[in-house]
Amino acid sequence: MADVKFLKVTKKFNENVILNGVSVEIKDHEFVVIVGPSGCGKTTLLRMLAGLEEITAGDIHIDNILVNNIHPSKRQIAMVFQDYALYPHMTVEENMSFALRLMKMDKREISARVHEAAAILQLTKLLKRMPKQLSGGQRQRVAIGRAIVRKPKVFLFDEPLSNLDAKLREEMRVEIAKLYQRLNATIIYVTHDQVEAMTLAGRIVVMNHGIIQQTGTPIEVYRKPDNLFVAGFIGSPTMNFLHGKLSAEGEKLFLKNDSLTLYIPPFLLADGARNAGREVVLGIRPDDVLVGSGTRENCSEKIEGVLEVSELLGHRENLYIKAGENRVLATVEAFFNQSPGSKVSVRFNYRNMHVFDKKTQQRINN
Amino acid sequence: MNKEAAVYRRKKLLKYLLIHAVIITVVVVCVYPLLRILSISIRPGDRVISTDLSLIPSGADFAAYLRLLKDTMFLRWLWNSLIITVVTSFIGVSLASTAAYAFSRFKFPGKKSGMILLLSTQMIPAGMLILPLFLMIMKLGLMNTYLGMIIAYSVSSLPFSIWILKGYYDTIPRSLEEAALVDGTSQIGAFYRIILPLSTPALSIAFLFNFTTAWNEYLVARVVLFSAKQYTWTLGLFELQGQYITQWGMFAAGSMLVTVPVLMVFLYSSKWLLSGLTLGSVKG
Amino acid sequence: MDILYSIYEVLWFVLIVAAGIAAIEGYFYYHFKLHDRKWFMAVSAVFFPLAAVLLCRYVGLVQGAGSGELWAWFFITQVIINLFFKHIIKGRFSLPYMLLAPAFVGLALLLVYPFVFQIYLSFHDLKLTTIMAWKNTGHLPFVGIQQYINVFTTSPLSEVSFWALLLRTVWWTFINVFFHVTGGFALALLLNNNIRFKGIYRTLLVIPWAMPQVVAVLAMRGEFHSQYGFVNIMLGKLAVAFPALAAMGFGPVQWLSDHPLATCTLINIWLGIPFMMVVILGGLQSISSSYYDAADIDGASYFQKLRYITVPLIRPVLMPAVTLGTVWTFNNINVIYLVTGQSGGTERADILVSALYKAAFTYNRYSYSAAFAIVIFAILFFISVFYLKTFDAAKDER
Repeated sequence: MADVKFLKVTKKFNENVILNGVSVEIKDHEFVVIVGPSGCGKTTLLRMLAGLEEITAGDIHIDNILVNNIHPSKRQIAMVFQDYALYPHMTVEENMSFALRLMKMDKREISARVHEAAAILQLTKLLKRMPKQLSGGQRQRVAIGRAIVRKPKVFLFDEPLSNLDAKLREEMRVEIAKLYQRLNATIIYVTHDQVEAMTLAGRIVVMNHGIIQQTGTPIEVYRKPDNLFVAGFIGSPTMNFLHGKLSAEGEKLFLKNDSLTLYIPPFLLADGARNAGREVVLGIRPDDVLVGSGTRENCSEKIEGVLEVSELLGHRENLYIKAGENRVLATVEAFFNQSPGSKVSVRFNYRNMHVFDKKTQQRINN
Repeated sequence: MNKEAAVYRRKKLLKYLLIHAVIITVVVVCVYPLLRILSISIRPGDRVISTDLSLIPSGADFAAYLRLLKDTMFLRWLWNSLIITVVTSFIGVSLASTAAYAFSRFKFPGKKSGMILLLSTQMIPAGMLILPLFLMIMKLGLMNTYLGMIIAYSVSSLPFSIWILKGYYDTIPRSLEEAALVDGTSQIGAFYRIILPLSTPALSIAFLFNFTTAWNEYLVARVVLFSAKQYTWTLGLFELQGQYITQWGMFAAGSMLVTVPVLMVFLYSSKWLLSGLTLGSVKG
Repeated sequence: MDILYSIYEVLWFVLIVAAGIAAIEGYFYYHFKLHDRKWFMAVSAVFFPLAAVLLCRYVGLVQGAGSGELWAWFFITQVIINLFFKHIIKGRFSLPYMLLAPAFVGLALLLVYPFVFQIYLSFHDLKLTTIMAWKNTGHLPFVGIQQYINVFTTSPLSEVSFWALLLRTVWWTFINVFFHVTGGFALALLLNNNIRFKGIYRTLLVIPWAMPQVVAVLAMRGEFHSQYGFVNIMLGKLAVAFPALAAMGFGPVQWLSDHPLATCTLINIWLGIPFMMVVILGGLQSISSSYYDAADIDGASYFQKLRYITVPLIRPVLMPAVTLGTVWTFNNINVIYLVTGQSGGTERADILVSALYKAAFTYNRYSYSAAFAIVIFAILFFISVFYLKTFDAAKDER
């Protein structure tokens, strides 16, 4: 097992910059999920690590060895592809043993490794089948099995679950998590699905426009997003954003826009007077929008609004509320017994509020 | 209401009867010449030339087939055709398979102009190149030999084969080769171990196309081969047919022997050939 | 014994081809490996031409040309290849170029070189009387554009003129393609109904296309025989059955001697319809039936549906097929030569390409037919460019 280092890795296609100086260090035995919208360069980064894509500039190290010009098979990695890439003309067993056979490994050793991996993945009965005869989930497991038998230093997963239906995806997610505990290997996992990122990762790397936006544990990324992009990308349903201008009245700081004036307490944003006049965006997760009239500690004043739509999800309910010109989504316990058009009042929880500078998009509270 | 429905039904029935009638007429026109050859080939020797139109002649026998195999060099002609054709197809497909791979998977300077060159060779009328090929073969001293024929045929279907194979390779996901690279093959190794085995359908279609083109060729054979011993079957049949009165029965027998296998192969592969044809031309 | 010998001959040939491909690959491989070394250019310019000349001498491949002359040619080629590598090729493209090399060397030797050789021939005078001298010494008298003048002023065969041939070719191409397309379209429309035995009909209908062309044409030629051919037997019976028709001059016809072009045309139409039918049927089946359902609801009649749905949607399939069909028909030597090519055959059915074939190999006027071929190529080239232009324009309209 080994650590992986990216040093100012850059990728250009003609004049298009896909990756712009990505630097990240991945420690031994770490499960790192690289997440971002499609086209953010995450898959390119993974493919460069695998040696399938040329590196325009920068260095990639695996286990402190520079691998920029090393053949994919010599990098001690294994990769699980988005479309599985099972060789259609080989049986499951042949698929799994292909790499080992190419290494001219001893036949008994090959068979032992394949059967061990098959047992882990419950594929033993399917070893003689062709990929065509397998279901989506089974193919996925074969693809993982093909990676396991090689005992690589690093596992690379390229959106492995995106071709599965919702239910199977959840199952496989759990299986991958179990597998990680069992293998205790370095895993780099690329996905566009933030739920997978949150549930699987030991550490999340959020990317956008070829740049790393934030690196951290799932909790860090969720609780303290570094910028507006991360705030909006991580978390479901999406965070509420209130745009406005800070203005000071005496000692007190307020966020003001056309239809809203909101007190900003000093524990949220210190140095109030210095920030006066700044254009900011306030971020509040739907869970932190409290509906009802009762007061609670560390909450804002009541804000009156009108319920536009309510969506029942089961044990939770999404309320789409319009307060003046601001639209706010609140997630509350079911059942919220009011019909659209009725008046509701909401409060915001200051403890979990995020303040971003509108121009730089960076977080300014701590 | 009922009456209207009955009228409608009768109209519909009439329409279908009409369609069937027209199609059957055309089918007869299409198939009849083949049946005529069959019927002529089994006519007894003294009645080969007659104005009789019945499909199964009275006193049918296989004497013409026996005479064809015994008295002429028909088997030898078939053998000549077979050798020339198989070797040609083999060379053509093996050259095309690698070239198509380069076009399908790599970016390199001159790729586009190479493709255009390939297509434009299709515009050179085949009949036009016979003369220089004939002179080259003569100068190389390869007249009346298999080698001369193989040289003349070997690249004639190459552009088309490259086109078909490229189209097929394009449908194979790249991730398969990438997986093979990660598993430890070289790029060429991925081609031989993954792409080629997966392309057997397209390779066999390209082979069949090369095969039928060379198998049915007449015009080059006519000028390169001059001794009856070296003839391909097309030349041999033409010779037999030329002597209309005397050899008509044997010509018919020979035609049947050649046509039936070709027909079967063709009907089996026509769907593929056609998709290749239209694919190539639509893209071009 | 014969068979053993031919197997031996073939194995030997396969070996040569394999060795040839290996040699080509090795040759390019060393260029890719070493092209940026300083000494390589000089060494290769000496070594490769020398080796090639020795090979030619040893195998006896090229008779005629002197060693010095050969060496000069190979030397120039080598220098060009060296410059090509030095200035155009970058090392990392070596793999695709190596993959392409055998196919393109083959195409260059057997398609491009003959084409260039044809142009060379057309400015010289190679005919039956000069061919032996050319074969032995490689010498050919230069005649400038005389052959091209001859093409337009004298007959390629014995009587028919170039212009008559051109007119006939245009006429032949038009009539054939017209009937192929209309016939194929009609049949495809009929087959596209939901009828029984569709598969069987389709299979039987492609038989003329699927038969070896030599057999099909020769068999049809037999059916047009004046006395024993099916066509005349039927015409004779009809004339007997309907005396009124016979009185108007209806009856057996001397097809092969009196109407050779009509015979060839009928045979070629019979041969060509199945291809068009299959192409158009494929196109028809790819049109989603929801368009017709929508049109039915809108109250369109059968012909309106044909005009506004079928024809526009079938065009992308039809246009390339028609282009291909036109080129094939224009270039069709087989049918005409097989019907009229035997000794004593007529030249009243000849089109440009079949006349070209006969001029070269029946009349042995090599240089003349080379010039003739270039002229035909030019005509075809302009037709194709024109075709593609209009095709592209039609595409852009969408």
